[in-house]
Amino acid sequence: MSGIVEQQIHRDPALFYWILLPITVVMILTGILRHYLSTLLTSTPKKQTVAKLREQRSLMHAQQLRGNFHPISKAAFEKRKEAFIEGVKDSKFLADPGAKGQKPNPLQDPAMMDGMMGMMKGQVAMMVPQSLIMGWINAFFSGYVIMKLPFPLTPQFKQMLQAGVGTRDLDVRWVSSLSWYFLTLFGLQPVYNFILGSNNAASQMAQQMQMGQMGAGAVNPMAGAEDMDKVFNAEAENLEVVEHWYVLNGVEDRLLAKVGKF
Amino acid sequence: MAASFLQPPTGSSPQTAIHLSQGAASFLKSQRSAFTLPWPLTLFLNTDSQEKWAIYENTLLACLRTGDFDSAHVALNAMIDRFGKTNDRVVAMAGLYQEATADDKKELEEILEGYDDILKEDPTVFSIQKRRAALLKSMGRTAEAVTAVSALLELSPTDAEAWAELSDLYFSQGLLEQSIHCLEEVLVVVPNAWNMHAKLGEVTYIAANRTEAAGEQSKLLAESMRRFCRSVELCDDYLRGYYGLKLATTQLLTSLPTQKKSQQSDLPPIASVQKLNELATAKLANILRRSSSGEKGWDGYSAAELAAVRQLLDKDTQKIQR
Repeated sequence: MSGIVEQQIHRDPALFYWILLPITVVMILTGILRHYLSTLLTSTPKKQTVAKLREQRSLMHAQQLRGNFHPISKAAFEKRKEAFIEGVKDSKFLADPGAKGQKPNPLQDPAMMDGMMGMMKGQVAMMVPQSLIMGWINAFFSGYVIMKLPFPLTPQFKQMLQAGVGTRDLDVRWVSSLSWYFLTLFGLQPVYNFILGSNNAASQMAQQMQMGQMGAGAVNPMAGAEDMDKVFNAEAENLEVVEHWYVLNGVEDRLLAKVGKF
Repeated sequence: MAASFLQPPTGSSPQTAIHLSQGAASFLKSQRSAFTLPWPLTLFLNTDSQEKWAIYENTLLACLRTGDFDSAHVALNAMIDRFGKTNDRVVAMAGLYQEATADDKKELEEILEGYDDILKEDPTVFSIQKRRAALLKSMGRTAEAVTAVSALLELSPTDAEAWAELSDLYFSQGLLEQSIHCLEEVLVVVPNAWNMHAKLGEVTYIAANRTEAAGEQSKLLAESMRRFCRSVELCDDYLRGYYGLKLATTQLLTSLPTQKKSQQSDLPPIASVQKLNELATAKLANILRRSSSGEKGWDGYSAAELAAVRQLLDKDTQKIQR
């Protein structure tokens, strides 16, 4: 008995020229289009006002002091701590000392609205070409088997490779046009990297990934809209409880132990 | 050290800078004469990269440093074409170019006024704030420069570069305590910067030499010695660190035995100071020997620093001979 007989399907070579190639080229072109579209649509982030910037950086400074207190002596640390706590008490760092105690509405913040608009624009630039091409492929090429992979695969890949072709017994190696669309959709990132440089906005997978991160980070701008006075007070409390140690204590013994055998 | 276009020439030696600027003309020419496609096809090719513009920037700096203003002008124009006249970085570069090509004091004043105008419009352009402070400093108006940097730090207290600059300005005015404070701020931002630890050690050492009271002096010396220890703990074979360590320990060894027992609680024991002194001497001699024989991996030290080490070690041996 001979081995498993390979399925033979005679394909019209025109399938290659009129389906496989067009889909690939169109996908690459839309990627490039998307890249330039998103470069056009991204608005430069608005500059922060001086007071807001100062507020943020002061908070960051206090956080750094809390994290990196060890290279400075206890006296120096205490001095800075006192200065910060004093400043918080006088609400010296706040961008808007008058608005103390009110919780600002994130939706009324123009900066927030800008951010949301930017996100919407990105979404539109992604969704429109994607749905258009999907419709195009469905209308013209649905149901074609257009190529055969040169290597065997397990049947689990059937769903992935033969979308839109409802034959149960077809070998997994045959790829339908719709599946080819999906494959190019997900797999063209290296091609874009080659054409457009590595920080392009062509691949929508990368964009979606970014969106996901935004989703996680979206808490952040909301948190920024918190009552800053409270944030500063919390930071002051955190600084208050820091137990100071000095990295220079005993450094000579450490050094001698490390390189003393020299 | 091999000259690389990708390293900023500010920290490098004059030889590297001149090497870079000699290569600048041919580099800029190669960028310009490159074959370009007609318009719609250019959309498919992207020649922009971080490295390319880093090279432009470094070329500009090197050319300004060596006085090759033509090449600098070409590089600057390329950057203006790409990023626009209002880009923060480009504005600072353009300002730097103007400063370098200014002929007399009057022109510098005009540039300064230009900076003031920009800052009046938008006070958050940090690059111009820094340029302004640097220009004031180089015009000899140190007090005004201090005010400028302080204002910048008031706005953005997390800027290590600015803190270091302020420390330098205070130091040049002899205000050591303020200088130390600023260096401590730098360390809060970048806690593991060994060069900053050494720098702080140096300033503390100078402050120690200036104080009269013997007890206070030994305390400062010990502090300075520990700073140098931390510096070489973070970075093996750091020449400045060991140099300072040797200076501080030598002085401590002369002053420590005269201290009363009651004052010695904070001070290190003489034995370990002695050991540290020996360690520093041995390390310095090692660095000197290896780098002067051109051993591989030991050739990064600056010639001036090595000469200083040789002098220090020679002084030591003379003392022993006597």
